[in-house]
Amino acid sequence: MVTMSLDPVQLMSGQVSELKVASSSNGNSRGLWEEKEEFDREHLGLPAKPKPVTERRTRKVEGGVFFPKPENAVTIAVSSRVLFRTEREQKVFEQKGVEEYLRYQIEHENEPFAPGPAFPFVKALETVNARLRDLYPQSEELFDIVLVTYNHAHVGIRLINTINHHNLFIERFCMTGGSSPIGYLKAWQTNLYLSADADKVREALAEGIAAATMFMSEKITEVSEYQLRVAFDGDAVLFSDESERIFKAHGLDKFFEHERENEDTLLDHGPLKGFLEVLGKLQKKFYAKGQRLDCPIRTYLVTARSAASSGIRALKTLRAWGLEIDEALFLAGAPKGPMLEKIRPHIFFDDQMFHVEGAAEMGTIAAHVPYGIAQNHNPKQNASVGK
Amino acid sequence: MCWFSFSLQKDADHAVVIAVTSRAVFGSGADDDEVYGEGLAFPLLQALQRVNEHLLMNNPAELLLFDIVLLTTDSQQQQQSPRIISSTRHYGLEVGRFCFSSEEDFVENLLKNNVQLFLSTDRNEASQATQRGVLSALLDHQTASCPSEQLKVLFFGDAVIQPDTGPTPPSRQAARSFSAQLGEMQRRFTMSDSPLSIGLVTWRGGRDSCADALHTLRSRGVRVDEAYCLAEAPWGPILSVFRPHFLLSDGFGGLEG
Repeated sequence: MVTMSLDPVQLMSGQVSELKVASSSNGNSRGLWEEKEEFDREHLGLPAKPKPVTERRTRKVEGGVFFPKPENAVTIAVSSRVLFRTEREQKVFEQKGVEEYLRYQIEHENEPFAPGPAFPFVKALETVNARLRDLYPQSEELFDIVLVTYNHAHVGIRLINTINHHNLFIERFCMTGGSSPIGYLKAWQTNLYLSADADKVREALAEGIAAATMFMSEKITEVSEYQLRVAFDGDAVLFSDESERIFKAHGLDKFFEHERENEDTLLDHGPLKGFLEVLGKLQKKFYAKGQRLDCPIRTYLVTARSAASSGIRALKTLRAWGLEIDEALFLAGAPKGPMLEKIRPHIFFDDQMFHVEGAAEMGTIAAHVPYGIAQNHNPKQNASVGK
Repeated sequence: MCWFSFSLQKDADHAVVIAVTSRAVFGSGADDDEVYGEGLAFPLLQALQRVNEHLLMNNPAELLLFDIVLLTTDSQQQQQSPRIISSTRHYGLEVGRFCFSSEEDFVENLLKNNVQLFLSTDRNEASQATQRGVLSALLDHQTASCPSEQLKVLFFGDAVIQPDTGPTPPSRQAARSFSAQLGEMQRRFTMSDSPLSIGLVTWRGGRDSCADALHTLRSRGVRVDEAYCLAEAPWGPILSVFRPHFLLSDGFGGLEG
């Protein structure tokens, strides 16, 4: 559960709210919303009054760009199940069907959802945006967070209420009522798609969109409010799975031999290379204004490769691609959990469920990239060395 | 002048009258064959019919049905009126009324026939009808022509939100009552077996605009299935994925901008 120091109400604008997000698994607090009055008007059959902007928006973006064009922005699409916690509603859906599920959602429309696994990541993106707007007020090179959900539009009002409650800057969304949102993801040049559903993530990956599956975990350690930290596994995430294939087919010795022989051959790119690239572009905007030390974006490579041998090929590849990574951690097969616990990334991408689960056990927010050869194996069987 | 197909008459008090131009249904240009080819709005007509079929399956005594009027303003096609009627029969299209008018007085015809929605491929025609208070929608190649199991209607939300002041233009009242009837039809079905799919797209403004539009439609009894809040992002993708048969805004429906 996200700890109270990250409470978005306290973090932003000083808006006083009587509503505290309870630490139960679903933010089930009925409260004295300033919005509640409007819904009462609605229920009494009175026409809805469009509220003046100043009343509704307590956070202001002074002189900034509200709606960056998708082609200029870094588009991050998140589904409702990873941005918020919706386990209770999921259960209603699974046990009682879609009609009952929608009825339940409408009944609880004024109760905001609690933050989900992608919430800290999204908050950190907004922090970066605030810094970017300060330095480049006219630029559209910002993170554009889009809610993309298979949910039915009935849930739309509750989702919008929740976004308002948490003061998130999300102005674009798709509620597809069940059909695939892949067309929209492509049209909006989505740079990263996060969902709770592995099938949808696989579909996105197949279309060339960086994507990962996120899971709710009970333990989440505190993450930075000031610096976005993104950690990547190497093989089958930033790089292709070619080396993993060698390891799986022929074992560790063959893997090392192959890497040595091919040290000067670049690895092929993996599904998240493009995302690292756009992060780098944004980082350079801070460097250009003399903010290298104070940069609110930091990237990490956390790989089972070893620095002295197989890691060299990874570094050479990154360098050839013109990509910088702030910290590269070569674990030579040691578990990733403890290292990640020190880094505290807002998100960690790995292609192996074994590593994702191990990280989550120690409170790291981890996302699974269902790509490459590792997906054909039972995660539990990968318990040994890794690569 | 209108010819009534008596066997297909609907209850005037309860039916939802939709007029479509024959130019839209059968396409322009004369064919040498007995029967016209399928035009742009052909799948739309079939979808309307399917809704009627589903409604009647649920309740054989159902009175809330679409009543389709085929309007011919094209003088060339008017000379071929028997062919229009036989083409309709050939394709099994359930047209309740065939109306023939000139471009000057077709709106009178719409009003006389209590048309609640007018669909045309001609922007001028649609505009004229709107000015006289008839809800209209413009059909073009991006809409209408996709065959689909469901009737797909897309509300353009920027126009759905209404200002408090000023008199309500007649076309807006027409829009309200038409959408209320759609909502009524939806309520005859559950989520999983509905022959109607209703979407909402808002372009200007952010999530608050979309929330307002959702509330407004809900207050009219309309159940929105899919919602897209674009905040000025390109909406071509929405059209090509949702594939609406027609787009409705509060008054003039059409693909503006």
